[in-house]
Amino acid sequence: MSMTLVQVVIGGLLLGAVYALFSSGLTLIWGMMNVVNFAHGDFVMLGMYTAVVIWTSLGGGPWASVPAAAIVIATLGVISYFFLVRHIMKGPMLAQILGTFGLALFLRYGALWAFGANFKSLPDNLVGHSFVLGGIRFEGSRVLAAVVGLGVTFALHLILTRTQIGSRMLAVSENATAAQLMGIRPQRMQALAWAMAGAATGIAGALIALFLPISPTAGETLAIVAFVTVSLGGFGSVTGALVAGLLIGVVESLTAYLVGPIYKEVIVYTLFVLVLWFRPQGLMGKA
Amino acid sequence: MSARRIVPLALLVLALIYPVLTMESAVYQRMGALVLLAAIGASAWNIVGGYAGQVSVGHAVFFGIGAYSSVVAFVHLGLPPIAGAPLGMAISVGLAALIGVPTLRLSGHYFSMATIAVGELVRVLASTSDFLGGAQGLGGPPMPRTVLDLSFLSAMPYYYIFLVVLAGILGLTWWIERGRMGFYLRAIKDSERAARSLGVSAGRYKLYAYMLSGAFTSVAGSLYLCMFGFIDPESGFGILISVKMVVMAALGGAGQLFGPLVGALILVPLEELSNSYLGGQGAGITYVVYGAIIVIIARFLPSGLLSLFERKPVVAQPEAAKPANPASGHAD
Amino acid sequence: MIKTTLLAGAALLALAGATPVLAQQVVKIGAVYPLSGNSASTGNYAKMAFEMGVDLINNGNADLAKVFPLAKGGGLPGLKGAKLQLVIADNQGTPQAGANQTLRLITEEKVAGLVCCYQSAITVTASAVAEKYGVPMINGESVAANLTERGFKWFFRTTPVAADFATAYLTFLKEQKAAGLKTDSIAIVHENTEYGNSVSSVIADAFAKGGLNVTMKIPYAANGPDVQPQVLQLKEKNPDVVIFISYTQDAILYAKTMKELNWKPPILIADDGGFNDPAFTKQMGPVTEGLISRSVFAQGKPGSVAAIMDEIYKKKTGGDGLDDVSARALQAFFVLADAINRAGSTEPAKVQAAIKATNIKAEECVAGYDGVKFDDKGQNTLASTLVTQLKNSNYVAVWPKSRATDPLVLPYKGW
Repeated sequence: MSMTLVQVVIGGLLLGAVYALFSSGLTLIWGMMNVVNFAHGDFVMLGMYTAVVIWTSLGGGPWASVPAAAIVIATLGVISYFFLVRHIMKGPMLAQILGTFGLALFLRYGALWAFGANFKSLPDNLVGHSFVLGGIRFEGSRVLAAVVGLGVTFALHLILTRTQIGSRMLAVSENATAAQLMGIRPQRMQALAWAMAGAATGIAGALIALFLPISPTAGETLAIVAFVTVSLGGFGSVTGALVAGLLIGVVESLTAYLVGPIYKEVIVYTLFVLVLWFRPQGLMGKA
Repeated sequence: MSARRIVPLALLVLALIYPVLTMESAVYQRMGALVLLAAIGASAWNIVGGYAGQVSVGHAVFFGIGAYSSVVAFVHLGLPPIAGAPLGMAISVGLAALIGVPTLRLSGHYFSMATIAVGELVRVLASTSDFLGGAQGLGGPPMPRTVLDLSFLSAMPYYYIFLVVLAGILGLTWWIERGRMGFYLRAIKDSERAARSLGVSAGRYKLYAYMLSGAFTSVAGSLYLCMFGFIDPESGFGILISVKMVVMAALGGAGQLFGPLVGALILVPLEELSNSYLGGQGAGITYVVYGAIIVIIARFLPSGLLSLFERKPVVAQPEAAKPANPASGHAD
Repeated sequence: MIKTTLLAGAALLALAGATPVLAQQVVKIGAVYPLSGNSASTGNYAKMAFEMGVDLINNGNADLAKVFPLAKGGGLPGLKGAKLQLVIADNQGTPQAGANQTLRLITEEKVAGLVCCYQSAITVTASAVAEKYGVPMINGESVAANLTERGFKWFFRTTPVAADFATAYLTFLKEQKAAGLKTDSIAIVHENTEYGNSVSSVIADAFAKGGLNVTMKIPYAANGPDVQPQVLQLKEKNPDVVIFISYTQDAILYAKTMKELNWKPPILIADDGGFNDPAFTKQMGPVTEGLISRSVFAQGKPGSVAAIMDEIYKKKTGGDGLDDVSARALQAFFVLADAINRAGSTEPAKVQAAIKATNIKAEECVAGYDGVKFDDKGQNTLASTLVTQLKNSNYVAVWPKSRATDPLVLPYKGW
């Protein structure tokens, strides 16, 4: 394998880890309560803007902007849960699309209203601190995002599988009534899920803002990628999202390099439909 | 005559004379036509998305095929655009079979996500096709040659054409609703497993509904082309076109005959008026208001506006649609 | 929730107050631009340019009036000092909204003429509405060739079209070749929507006819999160000339990734688009020194129409000067205002006749055209473009020599 091809694959893996990072919140909500959040991309976008505001307007720098974005978007998640999601869950599945799509428009254009249409960037994202390792060039900000992405995914996985909170949350997602009989408060667990998902999404936004320019419509394309990643991985599966994210990242990168960049979507969507044909529950979803 | 009869009759008369009432205002007259056009698309979607409960978020595929068939009829064959409508319907039926067979096996959100992916796939392919004008898109007749080009200054002819088409689709939907197929579709929506155990060939009927729905959505696309005279991949196959059909039907009441029409009656004027009066400020207030109103309706009437008028309390929602139990209403 | 209610309330208030009481002697000019959606940034810059234009005509500017007669203040002299009023509508980036809003501006607002619509796809549907109603429309930015091939009588275009840009690049590159620079292999990297597709194919055609070798074409989907594979492809083939046709987000990513991967071609041309966005020049200027672009706008000599307007515009926007798109939009607006003024009436047929008789000289243009004069199809025959180069994060005109303000510096320096 030529050096360039290694570079392409590594670029794809870094990209894929970022996909996994901003999809983990979506898959958590999806798995916990079978709700697809159509405003997910806009949560990411608001995470990016939070980072910009903290960093540039308030002079916070990177170490303040990432936790701040986590807190802001987690709060947004909890608010969305209590004011909207809790209620639309009583209706048909369509109500979720209706409600979260309305929320998406509200947030997206609220951001346009608040921040303007012009592209914004974090001040020293240019620095990037790229480094060369074994002949391969790494872009610092992407490596950071990928590493944190893996960390967040792993942390979410541990919380869900190894902690008491996690097993309570899973109990609610399996059967809310039964969980309630066991003394678990379903709404509290679901709100917690929205907070965790929001925090992960906020972190994702703040890190993506390191290397992507920020505009109110930034969430649009990211949302579609997240949908595909999550359903390819199997909904509710955090590790599935990671595997799917890495897979999509590498496939996109390789297709773009070997075949041509316009075909990467064609290949990814075809692959996605094919996988669902053989595994309707996604790569790592429960049958 | 009771009010239950007078009200529908009055509404029908209003629908028939609306363009005459709005003679003075081209904008409001046109808005009437736009409401009907949106209602055609959303009503077509309703057949598979509402009645059969298969939430497609990729119906723009069929809308785009209708629009492109019409423009291709003009650009490549020199025919009036509307002549492409039957072609669009035929292609849509075929494509619906092709898409439906692999995707309709998927349950719940997986189906929705797969239809999004197929929609995006078609959009990308269309933008690379020279035959379809690539990313630049194709235009219909710049100037009407004959009346068959359906290119009018006034919105009145469009209004009545759309009204007839909508009536046709609603009539057919009504007929399906009352017949065997409607019964099967409701059974599938309530619980696919139960329907199968009763001997309903769920896969087959879902596919029928999908094909039928695709064909009529394609008509909406063809009519759109006649009215606007131009199509490109984004305005034909864009994901927003798909989502708007879903949102309209859900807002009015999916799986109900007049649900999509009610949704269109709310959303189209809302979008047009808010853009007219707020759009010029250039701050996106249009969609902030539009989004907020959708959120409020979804929050308080998750089953759509028509659920306001249901006499019986809403029957318990089918379990199948929601494997994860919603939180119970107990105080937490 | 409270916020939602407040916003909804504010919206209702805005609805109630939306029909202002009109003073007498007001001439309305309609503008249908992308104020939301993907091109909202561009649309909002154009909006500020129009507002400046209206202000200049209504309230005047002493410096400008010396070189630009319409800026004497006191409205349009040809209509007894009638004031201009701008009615701007949001086309939301869709052909449907563009047509609907054009209809509203014509029938409800009774505009005397329109400037419209930035995106070619939207100009197609909006101009069809204006044509049916017989209201003049001037387009300042859409470059799709077929717009003026439809036999429309009410549609005029001031901007150069894609073919003009291609010819400019071709002549420019041939001159560099004659001067001894290598132009044997040329790569075109373009985004895959209407803008990138149409411009790239016109350039490829023109180059093929003109004897320049396009060795690579890399189309890509706009607004993706990663462009490394494309840059690696370029790095491997190492072409002499690269031409980018991109929107802002991709432009920023390309500039950054090229630096990350430490690769640059001897000549780097970036066709307008995202590379002229102030967000790009501000942020990426330091690492794209010597980038070649095109623009119809160059500030020119102090005291010129362009230079004075640029200063006024900077005050309005808080620092951002006029650029290619805002200058082209503004030029279309002034052509319409000038025609209405000469027509001495807002009667459509008279305005149409006045537009046809338009003859604006180069020195009266804010855009760097050789002037404005329409042919039978409604295309400005004097439209032309400048080749510019990025110097210290500012674009300066370097070609053609007659209009250059700064010397051309090659090869591309980058960072």
